[in-house]
Amino acid sequence: MAVRESSRYLARAVPRAFAPSARPQAFLGRRNASDEAPSRRLSDQLDELETASSLTTAVSDSAAKSFDPATRAKGRKTQLPRSRYQFRSPKYDRGPLHPHQPPPPSDPSSRLFVPGPFSLPRAEQTYNSTVASDILTLCYVHTPPGFKVPPKAPRLREWDDSSPYHKNRPLRGPRGGDVLRLLRKPIKFNNIPEIERITVHSYVKGAAQENSGWLHVAGMAVQAISNVRVETFKSKASVATWSIAPGRDTVAVKAEMHGETMYHFLGKLIDVVLPRIKDWPGVKGSSGDSSGNITFGLEPEHVAMFPEIEVNYDMYPPKMIPGCHITLHTTAKADKDARLLLSAMGIPFYGKIVQ
Amino acid sequence: MLTGSNGARRIASLMRPSRLDSGVCISCQETLGRRQYASAAAASELATSSSPNPSTFPVVKPVYTINAGVVLSRPPQVTRDLEPFEKAYHFYQKRLNERLALPFTKYFYFKRGTPADVDWKNKIKERRTPARDIGNYNAYASDAWNDELLLGSKESDPEHQVEALVQDAESTANATSQDTSKKEEIPRPLSRVTEADKKGDHKSLNRLLPRTLYLLVQSKEGYWKFPSLPIEGDETLRQAAERTLAQTAGVNMNTWMVGFHPAGHHVYTNRKPHVDQATGAELHGEKTFFMKTRIMAGQADLSSSVEKLQDFKWLSKDEIAQFVLPQYYSNIKNMLADR
Repeated sequence: MAVRESSRYLARAVPRAFAPSARPQAFLGRRNASDEAPSRRLSDQLDELETASSLTTAVSDSAAKSFDPATRAKGRKTQLPRSRYQFRSPKYDRGPLHPHQPPPPSDPSSRLFVPGPFSLPRAEQTYNSTVASDILTLCYVHTPPGFKVPPKAPRLREWDDSSPYHKNRPLRGPRGGDVLRLLRKPIKFNNIPEIERITVHSYVKGAAQENSGWLHVAGMAVQAISNVRVETFKSKASVATWSIAPGRDTVAVKAEMHGETMYHFLGKLIDVVLPRIKDWPGVKGSSGDSSGNITFGLEPEHVAMFPEIEVNYDMYPPKMIPGCHITLHTTAKADKDARLLLSAMGIPFYGKIVQ
Repeated sequence: MLTGSNGARRIASLMRPSRLDSGVCISCQETLGRRQYASAAAASELATSSSPNPSTFPVVKPVYTINAGVVLSRPPQVTRDLEPFEKAYHFYQKRLNERLALPFTKYFYFKRGTPADVDWKNKIKERRTPARDIGNYNAYASDAWNDELLLGSKESDPEHQVEALVQDAESTANATSQDTSKKEEIPRPLSRVTEADKKGDHKSLNRLLPRTLYLLVQSKEGYWKFPSLPIEGDETLRQAAERTLAQTAGVNMNTWMVGFHPAGHHVYTNRKPHVDQATGAELHGEKTFFMKTRIMAGQADLSSSVEKLQDFKWLSKDEIAQFVLPQYYSNIKNMLADR
């Protein structure tokens, strides 16, 4: 619509280029290594690129219509030899010198092949298009040229050699406790916090007290909402009032989600489940393990709000749907950054925010 | 992340010897002048050995007008359109998954003898698979090897899959409902292409839902740019940006300014320096620093703009390239989101 023709630009730009500048402009004889990169160079290699993708290549109609592998296979009089249509990856590893080698795990015929991804999750797209760049802008710290970062004291303190017994002693921990916190580097384009994995964990006390049905139901429910197989765990602690002994009773199920599954779960959690919880104040502001992982809990009636459980709620035995703890593991090095990321993704926090 | 109180900073800067003419901005002067307790000893050594004032720079003489610009954006509202390759890939992976996964446990989802169970039995015969989005394909049949789509088939299209899901839900609702006279209607998802897209209405915020939109204004002279105004007095960049937004695009918007630092800048040098009548200083051009802002609600309104702006548009990154000058675009393009 308002595309201006290039001749007008040229008419304006040419006298400008030759006009004497008021400020002496030094010749910038600087060359960057990146100038030589193929992306920067206006090279003649561009015509090597194909203009059309293989998906848009025109195929003649007759060829497309005549290609029907199913009918062709049915019309075949004699069966093809097995080697023509079936490949089986070797069951055992016979070493690198054996002629029959397994295909790489990305090959669908490999025994290790895991299919996926099946979609591009909405929560992931939101993170990539909106949240990540906003966090980068928010966390920018300006250091003017010439500013020197003040050197920090070492994390492990040395002994002051006031006593001869200080020789060869291991270094002392930081002041105010022996915990060495994670190093928090300034957030740059290459370390923007992101969600790494989500863990759903459910401790089923009824599994030890009554029967294993509790554990089965909990496993089915957690599997349904998380779309991954659950692991079961035996108790580590002894709880005398619940008659739980360490190592004897299987009392917990856990599901760990990564990648696409994780973002689908997060989307359901943020947009379907959490908004429907009545009088839910949000995640407690003091939650977190001070290295960027935030945990909160859901009551059994909240777990039942997941759409996967809601569709066949009747199939779960009444009162046996478990509550769970959900841990959001992020790549942030401090809880402050993790909270920034999660609140940008849509998880509310309440109460005193502990940094 | 956030700046502290500016009052304390100003008082502190007044107490110290002025470095106002050093060509470094106020907040940077504060950072440079801040006493560093941890490095006090190291600094005193440095001061004796090397140059007396290591923090100063070659003094930059030319005077520029400093502008505060606002990059007001509306984030994407819906997911992006998938490339044909992505559609084909996702579809093929779904069929592979169907071949590798354990079969669907029907008894967990359909109670025996219920209308839903009868409906399921009818449907599974023609659909051949419990999944609704992989087309007519049975992963356990003898022809399961034939898992690739033929040219021109619609099964991998998300629109086709949504339509199949909705029709499936409709037929289930019709088959299981008591009232046979009334036909159940399941609402379709809203269109991804809006009225504003069809009409080409560049002023609407409802256009181009999968893309980020940016507010551009047309100046008196007819140039398209982001809203920007000169910084007045002692105000910070953020305060100036907030004032710019109110004075150019009106107050009828609910916005959030992202942080306190600019996301990009644009330098315009005059061919000949303009002499400012009031101060007699030579102005060599203008430098605009852009603050990133998100719009939550409302719409731009140019009626009260101080610059007598002509027009505004909400444009995506690709469209901005067609409207602004090439020099301007090369300066701003890296702070705009690709999507």
